Amino acid sequence: MSLPVLLALALGGSLLTYILSGINARLRDAIAVIASLTVAAAVASLYGRTVETTLGTGFLGFPLVLRIGPLSWLFAMAVSAIGCLSVIFSLSYMRGKGRTGFYYAMLLLVDAAMLGVVLSGDLLSLFIFWEVMSWSTFLLISTNGGPALAAGMKYFIMSITGSLAMLVGIVWIFATTGTMQFSGVAAGLSAAAPGTRLGVLVLFGIAFGVKSAVWPFHAWLPPAHSEAPSPFSAVLSGVLIKMGVYGFLLTMYVVIGMRGFLSLGWRALPVHTILAIIGAVTIIVATLIALAQNDAKRLLAWSTVAQAGYIFLGISFGTAVAVAGGILHFLSHAVFKALLFMAAGAVEYRTGGVRDLDSLGGLIKKMPVTFAAALIGVCGLIGVPLTNGFVSKWLIYKTLIVDGSPFLAFIALIGTWGTVLYGYKFLHNIFLGQLPEKYANLKPAPFSMRLPMVILALVVVLFGVLPGIPLAVVDAIGSSFGFATLGVIPGGIAGETGTINMVNIFAAIIVGVVLAWLIFRAGARGARVGQADSYAAGGPVPTDRYQYSVHFYAPLQRMLAPWLRDPVDAFYGGLGARVVKLSDGLRRIYTGLVADYVMYVMLFLGALILVQIVWRPW
Amino acid sequence: MRILGFVISPLAALAVGIFFLGLTRRFMARTQWRYGPPLYQPLIDMLRFFTQKSVSHGAIFDLGVILSLAGSLVVVLFLPFGRICPLQGSGGLLVVLYLMLLAPLGLALSAGEAANPNSSIGISRMFALALGYEVPLLLIVLAAMTRYDTISIVEIVAAQRAAVPNLATFPLVLSGIAYLLILPALLGLRPFDVAQAPQEISSGPLAELGGRYLALAQIQNALSLFIGISLFVNLMWGGASNPLVFFLKMLVVFAFGLWISASFPRLRVEQAVRYLWRWPTLLAFVGLLLVVVIRR
Repeated sequence: MSLPVLLALALGGSLLTYILSGINARLRDAIAVIASLTVAAAVASLYGRTVETTLGTGFLGFPLVLRIGPLSWLFAMAVSAIGCLSVIFSLSYMRGKGRTGFYYAMLLLVDAAMLGVVLSGDLLSLFIFWEVMSWSTFLLISTNGGPALAAGMKYFIMSITGSLAMLVGIVWIFATTGTMQFSGVAAGLSAAAPGTRLGVLVLFGIAFGVKSAVWPFHAWLPPAHSEAPSPFSAVLSGVLIKMGVYGFLLTMYVVIGMRGFLSLGWRALPVHTILAIIGAVTIIVATLIALAQNDAKRLLAWSTVAQAGYIFLGISFGTAVAVAGGILHFLSHAVFKALLFMAAGAVEYRTGGVRDLDSLGGLIKKMPVTFAAALIGVCGLIGVPLTNGFVSKWLIYKTLIVDGSPFLAFIALIGTWGTVLYGYKFLHNIFLGQLPEKYANLKPAPFSMRLPMVILALVVVLFGVLPGIPLAVVDAIGSSFGFATLGVIPGGIAGETGTINMVNIFAAIIVGVVLAWLIFRAGARGARVGQADSYAAGGPVPTDRYQYSVHFYAPLQRMLAPWLRDPVDAFYGGLGARVVKLSDGLRRIYTGLVADYVMYVMLFLGALILVQIVWRPW
Repeated sequence: MRILGFVISPLAALAVGIFFLGLTRRFMARTQWRYGPPLYQPLIDMLRFFTQKSVSHGAIFDLGVILSLAGSLVVVLFLPFGRICPLQGSGGLLVVLYLMLLAPLGLALSAGEAANPNSSIGISRMFALALGYEVPLLLIVLAAMTRYDTISIVEIVAAQRAAVPNLATFPLVLSGIAYLLILPALLGLRPFDVAQAPQEISSGPLAELGGRYLALAQIQNALSLFIGISLFVNLMWGGASNPLVFFLKMLVVFAFGLWISASFPRLRVEQAVRYLWRWPTLLAFVGLLLVVVIRR
C-alpha cells in the first residue's frame, strides 16, 4: 500500500466514523474498529521497506514528501497498534456516554495525525501534521469538561509555545539550507556553523520536550492524563508523548546527524551529556512525586514522566547501546503503559468512576484478568526480568556503567526502586487487601476491555523473553543513524558491546519456579479461607475497615515532603496568573469612547514627532 | 562440572543460610545469658512447618510465596561460591540486582492478598527500608563495576584476586565500609527489623503465613542471608578460590552483622532510612567519586 493511500485511509476512517455516528451507533463502532485494524495491518505490511513519495503539487510551492524507513515504521506500527487496541477498549468504555461519535472521530484523527508526523519526509508536512495532532488532542483531553477543560487548556498553551519554537526552527533551517526535505537538510546542516546546529536543537528541543514531557516541560502531562477518557490516556501516554521522542531522534540523528550532534558543546561538557542529565533529573523528580499520588491515573501519569526520562537519557547519551536502549524503552513503555491505563480504566468503568487509591481494595477477587494484566504491566514498568521493560533498561544501565557515567546509572537504578514502591502501591491499593462491601457484586471487565489488555500483556512477556524481535528493528534504526550494529540474537544481544540472553534467564527462572513449586507441593495442604478469616491478635476482624492503604508510605512521605512539591508547575502557574493580570490591565484601555481612542492616536503621533525631533532616526 | 554446579550451589547456599539462622538464635541467646536452641533448630522447625496445617487466601497468596523462593534460588545461581558459579555470562551483576527484586515482590504480593493490615504495614515498611539501603548499595555496587570496568561478578572477583593490594585497589575500602554499615538493614536484622517487628505488627508480611507457607518463607530468608553476605565477599573481599575459604569469609562478615544486631534496639522506619541516607550514603558516594577520579 502506498503511503498517501495509507494516510487517506486513516483520515477517511475518522471522517466516516463521524458521519455514521448520526445514522447508526453499531455501524459506527464497527467502522471505527475496522478502519483502525486496516491501518495497523497496512503499516505492518510495510515492514522492512524504504519508500519516499512526493505528494501532488505541494503546498505554497514547497513539495510535500512522505517517506518510510526503519525509524518511521517502528513508530507508525506502535501508533497504529495502540490506536487500534484503544478503539476496541473504548467500545464498552464510551457506551452510554455523550458525544461518542465526536470522540471516535477525534481518536481516529489523532491516530491519523500521528501517522502523518512519523511518515513526513519534510519539515513542512511534519509541522502541518504536528498541528493537527496538537489541537485534536486538546479536544479529546477536554471532552469531559470541568477540570478536564483546564487540563486541556494547560496542554494547549504549552503545546502552542512548542509549536512556535518549532516554526522558528524550521524557518531558520530553510534560511540556512534552502530546503525542507530531511535528506537535503541533513547535508546542509552538517556544513553549517555549530551555533546554527545548537540553535535548531534548542528550538526543536522545546517543541519536542513539551510533547514528550521532559523536565521542565512536563507540567501539562499529569492533569491531562488523569482527566482524559481512559482509552485515550492509553494513547496519550503510550504513543502520543512518544512523538516528542520521535522528534528528538529525528533532530539529533537525522536532521543534525550523529556526528554533528555528538560533537556539539564543550569537551568537558558536551551538549548531549547535558541532555542526558536532564533525562536523569526527570527520572528522579517524577518518581518521587509519583510516590505521593493518591489518584490511580495521576500516579501512572507521573510515572510516564519518569519513564520518558529513561527514554530521553538513553537516546541523548549517544552510544550505540544507549540509543538502542532508549528506542526499545519507547516501545516497551508504549506497551506496558497503555496496558496500565486500560487496567485503571477498567476499574474506573466498573466502580463508577473511582480512581481514588484510598477507597478501593481487594478487586482481585472480582476482576482477576484485569489484575493479572495490571501485574504484568507493573512488572514491565519496574523492569522485572522476563518483561520488555527489563531489556531496555538493562541496555541503558550497561552502557552508562561501562562508558563511564556511574552517577547517571545510579539515578536510573534508584529510579527503579522508586518504581517498585509506587507500582506496588498501585497494585495493592486497587486489587489487594480487603474488598469493601460496596463492591461485593462487582462484575469483571467486559470482553472488549479484557481483549486489548490480554494482548498487551502477552506482548510485554513476549518481548521480554525474546527481545530479539523488536531489537532487530531497533538495530536497523541504529545502523541508519550510523551506529555500530549490536549483534542481535533472539534472546537479546551477543556482540562486542555486551551480552545478554533472556532465553537463558527465562529457563533459569522457570527451573527456579518449578523447584519452589515442588517444595511447596511437598507440604501439607492449606485450607482456603475468606478475607474476614484473618489474624487480628485474638479480636474479631472488623469488616470493611481492616485495611491499610491510606498514606501507604507514610514515614517516607513525611521525610520526603519538602522534596515532593513541583516548583516548575508552580512557576508556570504564577506565570499564567501574571499574564492574565497583565492582559486584564491592557484590556482597560478599550473604554469604548471615541474621544479616548482619538486621544491615543494623538498621543502616539506626538510621541513619533518627539522621537523625530530629538534623535532624527528617519 | 557446570551441571553439577546447578545442584551444588543452591544446596550449599541453603545449608549456609540455615546454619546462619541457627547461629543467630544461639548468638542472641548467649548475649542474653540464655543457653539457646541447638544450631540445627531452624531445620527442625522447617520440617515441622511442612507437616502442619495452614490457611490460604487465594492463588496470588500461593504464587507470591513460590515466586519469592524461586527468585532467591535463581539469584544464587549467579553468585560465585568459591569457584562454583553456574550462570556466568547472562547479563552479570545488573541481572542479579534485578532478580533480587523477585523475592520481596513475591512476598509483597502474597502479603497483599492476605488482606491483613499487619501484612500490608510490614510490606510498606519493607519497601521504605529497601529504598533506604538501595541508595548506598547501588553506589557501592556501581563503584565495584566502575573500578573494574565490567558488569560481570566473575570478572570483578578475578580482577581482585589478580591485583596486589595497593593504592589503586584502595578506593573500594570506603565502599566496603559502607556495605558493612548497611549490612544489618540488607539482611533485615535488628536494629533494622522494622518490616517483621513481631511485637508491633505480628511479624508483618508473615502474619498470615503458616505451615508450608511459613516454611517456604523461612527457606527464602535463609537464602537471602546467604545472598547479602556472599555479594559482599565477592565484590569487596575478593571472593575465594575454594568454597571453604569463601564460607569462612562469610562467617566473619556475618559475625560482624550479628554483633551490631545484638547491640542495638530496633529503630523506627524514619530513623532507619535517615541513618541509611546519611553516613553509609556519604561514604559510598565518596567511594564512587574516588573510583571515578582514579579511573580518569
